[in-house]
Amino acid sequence: MINVGKSDSELINISGMNDKELQNFMQHNAISLKAGEARKAAKLIGRNPTLTELHIFNIQWSEHSSYKSSRNTLKMLPTKAPNVILGPVEDSGIVELGEINNERYGIVVSHESHNHPSQVVPYEGAATGIGGILRDVLCMGAKIIATADPLRFGNSFGKNKNKVKYIANEVINGIAGYGNAVGIPNLAGDIYLNESFDDNCLVNVVCLGLVKEKDIIHSYAPKNSEGYDIIIVGKATDNSGFGGAAFASLILDEEARESNRGAVQVPDPFLKNVIIRATYRVFEEAKKDNVKLGFKDMGAGGIMCSTSELCSDADYGAFIDLDKVHVSMDIPPFMIINSETQERFTWISPPSFTQRILEIYNEEFELPNIAENARASVIGKVTKEQNYVVTHKGKIVCNVPIKAITAGIRYDREAKKPNRNFKEPMIKEKNNYNEILLKVLSNPSVASKAKCFSHYDKNVMGNAIIESGQADAGLIKAAEGSKYGIALSVDNNPKYGRIDPYWGAANAVAESMRNVAAIGAIPSALTDCLNFGNPEKPEAFYDFKESVRGIADAAGKINYYKTKNPVPVISGNVSFYNESKSGNAIDPSPIIACIGVMKDYSKAITMKLKKANSTLFLAGERKDELGGSAYYEIFNQIGKNVPQIDFEREKGRIYAVIECISNGLLLSCHDISDGGMAVAIAEMILGGNADGIIGADINFNYPYLRNDKILFCESPGFFFEVEDKNIKKVQSIFKKYNLLIHKLGKTTNKKSLTIINSNKKIIDLSIDELRKAWTSGFKEALE
Amino acid sequence: MQKPSIAVIYFPGNNCEEETLRAVIAAGMRGKILNWNTKENLGSYDGFVIPGGWAYEDRIRAGVIAAKDPVMGIIRQEAEKGKPVLGICNGAQVLVETGIIPGLKDKVEMALAPNKNPFVSGYYNAWVYIKNTANKKNAFNSLFKKDEILHLPVAHGEGRFVTKDKALIKQLIKNKQIIFQYCTKEGKIENKFPINPNGSMLNIAAISNKKGNVIAIMPHPERAIWERQYQDFKKSDKKMNTIKIFESIKNYILEK
Repeated sequence: MINVGKSDSELINISGMNDKELQNFMQHNAISLKAGEARKAAKLIGRNPTLTELHIFNIQWSEHSSYKSSRNTLKMLPTKAPNVILGPVEDSGIVELGEINNERYGIVVSHESHNHPSQVVPYEGAATGIGGILRDVLCMGAKIIATADPLRFGNSFGKNKNKVKYIANEVINGIAGYGNAVGIPNLAGDIYLNESFDDNCLVNVVCLGLVKEKDIIHSYAPKNSEGYDIIIVGKATDNSGFGGAAFASLILDEEARESNRGAVQVPDPFLKNVIIRATYRVFEEAKKDNVKLGFKDMGAGGIMCSTSELCSDADYGAFIDLDKVHVSMDIPPFMIINSETQERFTWISPPSFTQRILEIYNEEFELPNIAENARASVIGKVTKEQNYVVTHKGKIVCNVPIKAITAGIRYDREAKKPNRNFKEPMIKEKNNYNEILLKVLSNPSVASKAKCFSHYDKNVMGNAIIESGQADAGLIKAAEGSKYGIALSVDNNPKYGRIDPYWGAANAVAESMRNVAAIGAIPSALTDCLNFGNPEKPEAFYDFKESVRGIADAAGKINYYKTKNPVPVISGNVSFYNESKSGNAIDPSPIIACIGVMKDYSKAITMKLKKANSTLFLAGERKDELGGSAYYEIFNQIGKNVPQIDFEREKGRIYAVIECISNGLLLSCHDISDGGMAVAIAEMILGGNADGIIGADINFNYPYLRNDKILFCESPGFFFEVEDKNIKKVQSIFKKYNLLIHKLGKTTNKKSLTIINSNKKIIDLSIDELRKAWTSGFKEALE
Repeated sequence: MQKPSIAVIYFPGNNCEEETLRAVIAAGMRGKILNWNTKENLGSYDGFVIPGGWAYEDRIRAGVIAAKDPVMGIIRQEAEKGKPVLGICNGAQVLVETGIIPGLKDKVEMALAPNKNPFVSGYYNAWVYIKNTANKKNAFNSLFKKDEILHLPVAHGEGRFVTKDKALIKQLIKNKQIIFQYCTKEGKIENKFPINPNGSMLNIAAISNKKGNVIAIMPHPERAIWERQYQDFKKSDKKMNTIKIFESIKNYILEK
């Protein structure tokens, strides 16, 4: 229920209401501010607010927009390093790629979540998640080059299986429907399914762009821009997605599902496709004329957030005339200014260049003919006076010090260590593990995700070198006329976080770095999307803090290749309230993306075995660390001992693998993670398309650990294939880092996998059997 | 003689124009991406490519609206003069919807129907094999040996060549208009998934007009020009045989 009865410029007499009356009034108007927060807003304005002003503070002080609970904790993260061009302050972070023709290039990275919308309206929710992140990257002046999608769904065999499958399939369709149409290759992604996501799926998205350092456009008004035009471009504003930021900051209430649907935006990838191309044209023209512009995505908080931040961050104010906004329906001013209608951007332009921008969008690319009333419109001016002034039908509906809108608020939330009573299970040893390995391979979280990836366009733009699913990380050619490759991996095993949020997060960071290293790229930057429950609950907040500490430790201690610098966290997002009304919260899920740089992509390798009679090596000790493992899941157990990272050794292994690959010494390489060593070697045999024909005979003597623990423990490590002539060189590189590697067996022309420990055969399976298990598990989970 | 110049037409919603232009240039031609509403004189170009994507959002049916766009009228005239026109994926759908392909009667004779794919319904992206089965040289295959195999991606939801007109099928075979057919890695034409990725009649991957200067091809040769783009291959910058589609166009223009 939205109260539109109040006159738009009328002041709401909140000082005359008691807390209960105030709370009722706000609830009636779909404002989720607390009474104290509303009073604080009034104090900042210096008088009672208008309804529009209250709505503005509602959005700006939502968790989604203000990071009010998380900001203090996030200070722990290492965000500075010599290769950081732009840290996590604007819409995207930027990390150095390197120099091409004597010009420094940056990789633009953004990492967001669209969890709540995807749970309510999965197709549109997932699609607009892609739509939003493309804008975040484009608005830095970058060329958009790739996306990736870490997804978490509920248990598709559990009590909510029908809903889980519906959501999973629709989310995948939504990602494909949007990303494919715009034409951005999908480069990486992972999917886990467990019951903690039954009521709250996670739909995270990562987007990469490429920009010359000197061509970066910032999300703030340029210097000396008083009197510059404020131009909005894109779809006509409507009531869709009104209150989206506030919605993302609430616990999902299944009963309110219908009324929440309106908070989800409507995607239009077709319009976006054209806007992106028109925007590239604006970039070109601005460069040609040497014009400095400000440019920002319109996401959460719509026109208000975009225009106020652009001006405030440059110490200016703004004047906005809502009558100039191109709308597609008659809606009240607080909705025009706050609606999250998709496919829109804001430009700050000197009046001399404004006409060129309007021509490009409205005439050259004919936006008004592409979508009903889509266009570029001048809606206001940058002002010297630092107020945010909005008029509607000649009346002032908002006049607030601009910094009051953009400064946000902060809370120091209470953190309390929750009781965690995890125990190691008692599982009987078996004579052989054939059946168990097939079960682990067909676990939907482990199995091939081809059913998902083959729905995404992976090779549009023609730059993909290693496509999604072919190796531990994806790889694309960065730019024409250069051998630079950009690698990307996304990771987090949610069950680790359930047992131990610190090690869950540290493992996610380490695994993402291993994945990038396993193809030969140098882990160069990280982004984090921190998905958690209700931060107002001290136990949930404790998990959040522990996770951030885990990321900070791993990023700081597994240093950037052969330096003392951290691998910096350059962008991220916090998604709280991933909890249902019944209190079912998701596993603490700090999802990490690692961006890798490769100077020469021709050195890159994949996980698939390349030839018979080469030698297979293991790097990384096997340990009794099966907590949260895919193996325990078969027995409906979770365990206690999650893998712990020895940062020094982890770093050494990553460096050694990169060094080996850059010297052309490895034929194939795979990180050991979900399903442990047995799954790693099975996947190397199968390859990304499950069409491998090289088998493996593994033979070792390791009496110190049970066979099931050797095969399936997920302790960090690598498995790799080496030609005999290169063995000594590989060993000496690892020795430099004080690491031993273990010769475990040979690749063969036999179409099988055998594993023998101390003369006892514990695995003996044909490639066909492996293939059937690995290719069916995920497919069946979604049917 | 000057390098031939190719216009790559961007309809709103297309998304393969850049890599298509790159393939044109890699084959030793000049090229430019032109918007659907361009004011340039298209007659000054030696050939045309209509790239993949979702022209006009595939409203009504893939390719229908673009087929009625004035720019297609000009391209039809240029094609009638013998200039080569290559339609890839959505571009192929546009050419079929204009009737230029197969172009035997003055109307739309075929359709590109939704994929029949037992693995993924709707949009499907994967690498496939096709071979040059045409017993006749045209503007796009002249540099290939008979039965030469190409490896390249498909990326579409509606790529199944169909017609109910049995006489038309006979005509296509007689006229040698079926240029590329889906096959196994070894070149065997088997009408089953995933060898035939969309259930296309006779495993058809590409059809030309009778004269052989216009072709509609569903898979994406422009995404398979260099070895690095191939999965499970070395990551080198060596050009692969797929470039010969574009080089054949160049030769055709130069020899004309």
